[in-house]
Amino acid sequence: MTLLAVLSHLNRADGSATYTHNGYAIIGAVNGPIEVQRRDEMPEEATVEVNIRLAVGIGSPKERHLESLVHNTLRSIILTRSIPRTLVQITLQVTSLPEEEAASGVDSACTLLPHLLHTALLALLSASIPLSTALTSVVIAVPASASSKAGTTMLSPTAKELLRAKPIRATHVFAFSGNRKLLLSQSMGVFAYDEWGEACEMAEDVCCRDEGGVGLGEDMEVKGGQGNLEEWLRSVVQKKVEMEQRWRVAT
Amino acid sequence: MASSLASLTVVLPGDSISPSALPQPAKKTKPLTLGPGLRHLPPDTIASTIAGALVTDPRKNAAWIEHNSGRYLPTSGDLVIATVNTSGADIFNCLITPHTPYAALPHLAFEGATRKTRPQLPTNSLVYCRIVNAGKDSSPELTCVDPSTGKSEGLGPLKGGMVFPISMGMARRLLAGKKGGVTVLEGLSEKMGFEVAVGRNGALWVDGGSVKVTLAVGRAVQEVDERALGEKGQKKIVERVLRGL
Repeated sequence: MTLLAVLSHLNRADGSATYTHNGYAIIGAVNGPIEVQRRDEMPEEATVEVNIRLAVGIGSPKERHLESLVHNTLRSIILTRSIPRTLVQITLQVTSLPEEEAASGVDSACTLLPHLLHTALLALLSASIPLSTALTSVVIAVPASASSKAGTTMLSPTAKELLRAKPIRATHVFAFSGNRKLLLSQSMGVFAYDEWGEACEMAEDVCCRDEGGVGLGEDMEVKGGQGNLEEWLRSVVQKKVEMEQRWRVAT
Repeated sequence: MASSLASLTVVLPGDSISPSALPQPAKKTKPLTLGPGLRHLPPDTIASTIAGALVTDPRKNAAWIEHNSGRYLPTSGDLVIATVNTSGADIFNCLITPHTPYAALPHLAFEGATRKTRPQLPTNSLVYCRIVNAGKDSSPELTCVDPSTGKSEGLGPLKGGMVFPISMGMARRLLAGKKGGVTVLEGLSEKMGFEVAVGRNGALWVDGGSVKVTLAVGRAVQEVDERALGEKGQKKIVERVLRGL
C-alpha cells in the first residue's frame, strides 16, 4: 500500500492533512473549536460539521449521504463534551480520483469512504482536537466469481483491480477504533452473514495491531507486504512529533 | 535540552499511558497532575486525547502531551495578546483567537483605572493581558493587573509596534526562558533596542522604535520558529540581521 500523508501544510486552517492512496487524493482541513451558530449550538456538546467537496461538479445527495456517514463516525470519537458550545468544522476536498473509478461498477460511496475517514482523522490529529480514540478504516470487495477461485476477496482493492474483477457482488467498509471496536460497517450488494463476518475479521487484522496491548510506538516493525494501518498511523504521528520537536536537537 | 528525539514517547489519542511511563515522585503525598492532552478514566487509567509526545516532570509530579498544532485554547494564568473588538458598558470585548466567543476585559482591570479615568481603547487596539478565568462552560475573562498588588507588572495596552504570528510552541519556548533555548532576542538586543511581548495565543508583539528594527526582530524570530534553529543557527541569524542594519 502506498499511503502518503502530509500534515499541517495549510496556513490558515487550524489543522490540515493531504492524503494520497492509489490514485485517490483528498485534502482535509479542520477549524475548531470555534464559535457556533446559535441554531446549531448544543449546551453540553460540540457541534461537528462535515463538508465534502468533489473533484468535479457540485454536490449531490450521494455526498450528503457520505457526509452523514463521516459525521456520525467522527462524532463518536471526538470528545464533544470536553469542548461544549463550540463548532468543529471539517472540510474534505477530493482533488483526484483514479481514472478507472467510474467504470469499476462499484458505488464510489464505498470506495471513497475509508479515504475520507483517514483524511478527516489526520486533519483532526493535526488540529489537536480531543479524541477518545484513533480510527482506521478499510474497504473489502467480494467479486461475483469469488466462490470459484479461492481467496479472491479483495482487501483495499485499487480501482484497476476492481475493474478487472468486475462484476463485484458485495462491498464492505469497516472502521475500527484503536481498541479494536467496530465503529462503522457499511455494506452494499448481496452477501451472507458468514461472509460479512469473514470480511469483518479480515478488516480487523489490517486495521488493528496484532498485540492488543499498547506498545507506545516502541516497536515500529511493519509486517511484510501488507502494511498495518495502525502502524502506518503511528509512523505519521511519529513524523509529526519529530518535526515539532526538532528544535530540541538542533544546533 | 539534551533529551534526544528517540527517547520521546509518541502517543495517539486513546492510548492508555502505562504506570511506568508516568512520573515517580519522591514524596508519595503529592497528587499526580495531568496537563493538556491527558484525561483520567476512573478508576485508574490515564489516556491521551491528542497526538503528540508524552512529557513528564517528576519534581512537580506532572505529565502532559507536548504538541505544536491546532488552535489556542484559553487556560487561566496564560499571558495573551488580545485584540479589542468592541467596548461594552463596563467591559471590553476582546478576541484571543479569531472566530471564538469574546473574552471579557473589565474597564477597571487596568493599573490606576477608576470609574472616572478608565482607558479608552478603540477597536483593533492590542492589549497584553493575563487570563483570569477560562472554563469550558464560560467565556474567558482577562485582566491587566495583579489582583494582590494592583500593579500592572508589564501588562496593559500595547501602543505602536507590530504583531507577528508565531507558532504556539515558539511562544511557549520564548516564555520558558533558558529552557526554551531561544537566544536570538538576547543576541539582537546587544546592538539594538526594542520591546517585545509574547502571547501564548501565538502572537509576538515587537516595537523597535522604527519600522526597520521592528521588522528585523519580528522576522528573525519567525525564521527561528519556522526552521527550528538551534543556538548556532540563531547566532548566524543575529549576525545577518545586524549586518543588514
